[in-house]
Amino acid sequence: MDYFKMIPNDIPLPLPDGGLSFVEPVFHLLLVVAWVVHILFINVLLGASFGAVYFNSKGVKMKNPVFDRVGYLLTTPVTISENMGALWGVAPLLLVSVLFTPLFYAAAIMNSPHWLHIIYGNIAAFLLSYLYKFTWHTLEDRKSLHLVIGVISVALFFTLPPVFMATVQLYITPTTWTYDTHFWDALLRPDTFFRLMHFYFASFAVTGIFMLLYGFYKRKSADELDRQAGDVLVSTGKSWFLVPTVLNFFVGPLVLFSFPSYGLEAFFNSGYYWLILLSIVLALVMIYMLIKGFFNNDLSAKKVWTIVGLMLVVVMSMATLRHGMRLSLTGPAMAEAKAKSLDFQQRAQDAKLEAEAAAAAAPKVQMAQGEALATKHGCLACHSVDNKVVGPAYREVAKKGYDQAKIVALVAAPQPANWPGYTAMPPMPQVPAEDLKVIADWINSLK
Amino acid sequence: MFDFPIFDMPLVGHRLMFAFDAIVHVFISHGAAVGGSIILVLAQWFAIKNNDRKFDELAYKIFFTFFVLATAVGALTGIGIWIHVNIINPAAIGALLRVFFWKWFIEWIVFNLEMIFLLIWFLTWKARPLGTPGKKSHFKIGLYYAIASWLTMAIITAILGFMMTPGNWLASDFPTKPDYLASLMNPSWIPSLGFRTFFSVIWAASAAMMLSWFFTKQDEELRAQAMRFFGRILAACIIPMIVFGYWYYLQFPQAAKDLFTMGVITRRLIATPELATIVTVALALLSLASMLYLYFKPKKAAVWIALVMFIANAALISEFERVREFVRKPYIIYGYMYANGVRVQDMALLNKEGYLKNAAFVPEEYRNPTATTPPEIRIKTGEYLYQMQCRYCHTINGVNSVKARITNLGIQGNADALYQRIKGLNSAATPFMPPFAGTDEEMKALAAYLATLNAPPSQAAAAAKP
Ligand code: HEC
Ligand code: HEC
Repeated sequence: MDYFKMIPNDIPLPLPDGGLSFVEPVFHLLLVVAWVVHILFINVLLGASFGAVYFNSKGVKMKNPVFDRVGYLLTTPVTISENMGALWGVAPLLLVSVLFTPLFYAAAIMNSPHWLHIIYGNIAAFLLSYLYKFTWHTLEDRKSLHLVIGVISVALFFTLPPVFMATVQLYITPTTWTYDTHFWDALLRPDTFFRLMHFYFASFAVTGIFMLLYGFYKRKSADELDRQAGDVLVSTGKSWFLVPTVLNFFVGPLVLFSFPSYGLEAFFNSGYYWLILLSIVLALVMIYMLIKGFFNNDLSAKKVWTIVGLMLVVVMSMATLRHGMRLSLTGPAMAEAKAKSLDFQQRAQDAKLEAEAAAAAAPKVQMAQGEALATKHGCLACHSVDNKVVGPAYREVAKKGYDQAKIVALVAAPQPANWPGYTAMPPMPQVPAEDLKVIADWINSLK
Repeated sequence: MFDFPIFDMPLVGHRLMFAFDAIVHVFISHGAAVGGSIILVLAQWFAIKNNDRKFDELAYKIFFTFFVLATAVGALTGIGIWIHVNIINPAAIGALLRVFFWKWFIEWIVFNLEMIFLLIWFLTWKARPLGTPGKKSHFKIGLYYAIASWLTMAIITAILGFMMTPGNWLASDFPTKPDYLASLMNPSWIPSLGFRTFFSVIWAASAAMMLSWFFTKQDEELRAQAMRFFGRILAACIIPMIVFGYWYYLQFPQAAKDLFTMGVITRRLIATPELATIVTVALALLSLASMLYLYFKPKKAAVWIALVMFIANAALISEFERVREFVRKPYIIYGYMYANGVRVQDMALLNKEGYLKNAAFVPEEYRNPTATTPPEIRIKTGEYLYQMQCRYCHTINGVNSVKARITNLGIQGNADALYQRIKGLNSAATPFMPPFAGTDEEMKALAAYLATLNAPPSQAAAAAKP
């Protein structure tokens, strides 16, 4: 297809589907499911780590131990979701790397070295978040120091999604590639920007639902402070869900229409837009349920679980339509990459057989056999017959009047002192002595 | 490879950048996770058996350190190995993923179990004190954690073993048919797994001895007990490690064995190969002597003795990993793919048709150098070739600087001599470099580019003339 300026070859090995046709769809299913789990953890990681700092500082400002407790309670989901989030990121990474190898790796390379930030930035954020959590009580009297640690770790966590988003946007839009596309080009594009915004908002919305659940559970705690913190979590959870979700109604369409039109066309033709409608309707239901009892914090368990269930359905449906968009955009490019790769492999095979046949049929080498062996063992990479190259000209060496055995010995253990002004020859004990004897005779014949 | 865009890591170079992440990962995954879980399970068993509260607390303190390192640094640098390789050598990791997909997938499932057992074991240690019935089941969680983390290692070593000794996995070239079982059951898998298992335990035990020194400043009796306990575990693993190590060594191809010495020291010291043995034996003796001292004189031993042992072991592990990586050269997957991502079986085509003809990410005008190509284009073409075939192991000015290598040969600025040298890249003097892939004209373009590196500009232009 003409709209791809450059398409790499696919990896010249079959997909690991064992030759069974039902396995590839299973890969896609696994990808969507594992990705949803990953992203829910990451959503909570971002929201909860932000909350853990926000409520800590609120507690300091208002001198209210309840807020301090809310912040502290939020560090537990941070620890769990950073560990589980990273772990569940591995499966989608594995699957994307297998299903979309050429596109994904190409994009990752264009975004390098920035792409490495997802490792090193992550490690730094991780360690700081542990420090923040495990010094909560020891730094009680030095709250500003403690808050600084927290703010840096949260800020670091928030720098990771842009790097992912830039790579993801880039690999699903190979039409936008140029010979020198790089990270900042990808990051500052409107599609990346709006998607990122959508993602950040969604993170707060998901964390909102998580807080609802967490607060609901903490309310039943035996500890008075925990119970009060639970109330705060429930009421905060509601607004954290409502505000970003409403905003995303506006950002969503911006994301959708920033994709290349051929992808949009395929997306709509495959019927994925039904999932958009479904997600909108369900999100509206959730909003309605929460607004109805907005000032009533005694939510029933049934209502909370209904909302959680609805959220999972919305997230699943958004993940599926996201995957639909990915397939719509990458389908033609992957088809081309595969075709190209097959063609390349065929040509490579032909050329290899041809070269083998030619080698078998070729008349025995014309050169003196010594010269042929010297070429084979790379001697002529550094020596020539008449001129100084890296090593001395063989005519000069011949003038030294070494016997055969001496030359053989010198190759295994050179004596650079014999040739002042030259670099040292590397010892080559692995060259067979039989061959060296022939080479030595040839060198001596050049006198 | 020619199918991917180019990312050049200046000064540091790709190999060092990768080595940094990989060695940190090895230190932590082998020490804090695999070996660490084994020695901690043993320590907990010992504490339960003797109902020794102090020893249990000491074990927890060591565990805390291991936990933070394993989760924050170990797991992420493990993913980091992928991320690094996917930008450094996408063709190789792409191939490995296709061959080992299901093994990796299983590893990921085991990794999940490992993480869950780890979190439970860690977060509930304090809540299940010695003497309570809960302690026994808590101990079992630790045991499962150790088994799971060893299993992840078992799978990963299969992949590393495969890269060294792929055996008969490629059943046919075209269409490519891999034999997945042969890839898993490659000859170096089991020996390397045994070798790594025992050195992990040794490494973890030496880390535990060092940490114990710090955690028992107030209590010399406990220190003596800890040194004896971990010292015994360490000593018990030495002989099996050596046996497995030797068996592992026997699996290496001869060409790789020839490179061992150079892997330990550098090429510049190759005239004195004894140095390699001296360095290795000295480190091992240093480590052993400090271990014995800590073992027999725990109350007298100063902290630097524990540190020396720890650092000597770290150095030995780094040496092993470096040698293992180095002797695989010029391949990344032995006999199948060169370190620069070119498949061995593609050489004939690339030499005939040209490498750049197939390079999707090189602008058209640089894809077809001929005798009449203008100098600027020719030099730029050569630069693309350098970046696609050489930057895996070289940088211009930094680590393994190609400029310095050329100057050392005394052929700087000399395009003809460079051309001759490039012809013989993969030969007896430098068997660790892959052969140049491409036509004669491409070789000349590369030589023309390399000639500009350390030549004054006027000379550079002259050098570029065909
Ligand atoms: C990397 C470049 C290089 C390669 C490859 C190389 N040589 Fe040399 N050779 C030199 C240099 C430099 C000298 C002079 C300095 C020295 O002897 O160390 C030299 C010197 C020699 C001498 C003279 C030794 C003396 O002490 O007088 C002989 C003979 C020789 N080379 C043979 C060979 C043979 C045979 C091969 C191939 C198996 C070979 N060289 C490959 C660089 C090389
Ligand atoms: C697999 C890694 C690898 C690749 C790929 C590689 N080299 Fe090297 N190269 C090395 C190593 C290792 C050395 C030796 C460094 C030393 O002397 O310590 C070396 C040395 C050299 C030398 C000095 C040789 C001598 O005789 O001393 C030159 C010239 C050179 N490389 C050029 C190239 C060029 C040009 C390419 C690309 C076509 C290339 N290399 C690709 C690893 C590599």
